[in-house]
Amino acid sequence: MASERYSFSLTTFSPSGKLVQLEYALAAVAAGATSVGIVASDGVVIATENKYKSPLYEEHSVHRVEPITDHIGMVYSGLVPDYRPLLKRARKMAQQYFLVYKEPMPVSQLVQQVANVMQEYTQSGGVRPFGVSLLICGWNNGKPYLFQCDPTGAFFAWKATALGKNAQSCKTYMEKRFNLQSNNSVSQSLDDAVVDAMRTLKGGFEGVMTKDNIEVGICTEKGFRRLTPTEIDDHLSNAN
Amino acid sequence: MHKIQSFPEYQVPGAQHQDFSPYESNGGSIVAIAGEDYVVIAADTRLSSGYTIHTRKQNKLFQLSEKTVLGSTGCWCDTLALTSLVNARMQMYEHLHLKTMSTEAVAQMLSILMYNRRFFPYYVSNVLAGLDSEGKGVVYSYDPIGHCERTTYRAGGSAGTLLQPVLDNQIGGKDRDVKNKPKVPLEKAKEVAKDAFISAAERDIYTGDSVILKVITKDGITEEEVQLRKD
Amino acid sequence: MSIMAYNGGCLVAMRGKNCVAIATDHRFGIQAQTISTDFEKVFQVNPRTFLGLVGLQTDILTVHDRIMFRKKLYEDRENREMTPEPFSAMISNFLYEHRFGPYFIEPVIAGLHPKTLEPFICNMDLIGCPNKPDDFVVAGTCSEQLYGMCETLWKEDLEPAELSEVISQAIVSAFDRDAISGWGATVYIIEKDKITKKQIKTRMD
Repeated sequence: MASERYSFSLTTFSPSGKLVQLEYALAAVAAGATSVGIVASDGVVIATENKYKSPLYEEHSVHRVEPITDHIGMVYSGLVPDYRPLLKRARKMAQQYFLVYKEPMPVSQLVQQVANVMQEYTQSGGVRPFGVSLLICGWNNGKPYLFQCDPTGAFFAWKATALGKNAQSCKTYMEKRFNLQSNNSVSQSLDDAVVDAMRTLKGGFEGVMTKDNIEVGICTEKGFRRLTPTEIDDHLSNAN
Repeated sequence: MHKIQSFPEYQVPGAQHQDFSPYESNGGSIVAIAGEDYVVIAADTRLSSGYTIHTRKQNKLFQLSEKTVLGSTGCWCDTLALTSLVNARMQMYEHLHLKTMSTEAVAQMLSILMYNRRFFPYYVSNVLAGLDSEGKGVVYSYDPIGHCERTTYRAGGSAGTLLQPVLDNQIGGKDRDVKNKPKVPLEKAKEVAKDAFISAAERDIYTGDSVILKVITKDGITEEEVQLRKD
Repeated sequence: MSIMAYNGGCLVAMRGKNCVAIATDHRFGIQAQTISTDFEKVFQVNPRTFLGLVGLQTDILTVHDRIMFRKKLYEDRENREMTPEPFSAMISNFLYEHRFGPYFIEPVIAGLHPKTLEPFICNMDLIGCPNKPDDFVVAGTCSEQLYGMCETLWKEDLEPAELSEVISQAIVSAFDRDAISGWGATVYIIEKDKITKKQIKTRMD
């Protein structure tokens, strides 16, 4: 049978001990649109560019920033088609957890489970790793959280970070700002964090940044939500 | 039991067969507490079957004489049949012996009347309360076929299982570190009986609406009514 | 005869003021024959959470083991203590997984939330339908008697000492009117800084 020819894992070690498939996956992430996330004391923000190539494109319909539960949201850098099934799985896991324990799923638990799925795709037969890295933000036990999930199955907790094309320069920019602050965060408050995230994105932004070509999600005590274009516009005027 | 299914040749298409079931439980609870010179007997006033309430004002206490009261619940038609038989027999006794039956005699007769129906019993839970020939309070309780026990307190009827341990605890002085059982004053007996019904009405759907409380002393019988929850 | 009443036994849990209480009898029997009088049906699962199980004895032991298995996995995975509420939800879920071939037990959970110290009581039927009232919960072969006792003795905001007296009187008087429960009792009073275990001597017949 033809399928048997691919029933072994495609992610195999090279003689030097590297998993080149994973390096290719990370390359796909690095080529993707930039996403940033910043934790402030009263919330966490995630932001990304959502540029369209044609003026005919209908904006504000297909989103990159998506809610997983009332109190968790996520954004990605990399390949859209790989993002959607992960989003679906993440939502399902969170609901399954709630059904069993009648308690909202802790962000760290969700991240661990998502990372587990991503790791399985590095060892299973007939599949390839996901071509996305995720930024998962959430609020639980009175605190904001920001996590990064890689196609390797590795995950990290951040005060602020960036993914995608300009990740390195974004991180350098945020590190500088962090060192100027004394509150163990890049930003003074959530509102500042939204503006700081926009400024960070702006660093490598090609063209003019408008309310229609970026997406922002915030998570506070009240839960996670995407900012409306009008709200983004208000913050953009401060970012300029 | 011969079911029509056992005789398929007699089955008619579309015909519905109904077995005769002579018994029904109409609910209701009784509490009786006897003291040195009094006896308290109480019963709720709800008459129901299944989820239906027939009436909220059915007295289930039957005054048989100046010092004997019978509380009877279970299948209400059996209660009516039994109590009218008891009344008739007591009348006959009076004509024959020219005196009213003592509580002890009524208790014994009730046992016999019920045992007479050993193989088609009255489906009733009876508690008989009265003053004995020495003027002391006494309670007799029965099973449906006439087994009779003389006690000082008893809960019977649909909430009997809920209330009997309450009486053991509050009246019987069981499980408490007391050498000599304390005598229960009338006021305490009345309070416990009322509280017991308030509790029973919380958990037993066949007990509720109101409770009628009769107190028998040498001075006669007094009656009071306390409202219970009606849902 | 019902399989739920094969071994006998009973449980009751009550809420007090900043405290909860849970009590169990000690009998393990096979129908009318008493096998042992030291079978406690309440298990401490966390510093301030207790789980009681009544019903078929073999299922009590199995369900206890399986619940502890799931609870330990949760606590290792999440690196935190399981609080009474998700613990109850998990048991409910576990029992419903066996909806069409159930374990013949009824659980009772009593505890204080480890952080907020909010009192919590809960019981379920054998397929996991949860019941979380704010007064008391009962289970076992003398549940009717327990309802009668609890309904008359319990009141709001009982202090730990009063609650201990109320729950003791309730369970002892209740199981003295049940032939297959009793033979001693244990009462746990769970407070913020103290767990009191009290063994009660009762009539042994």
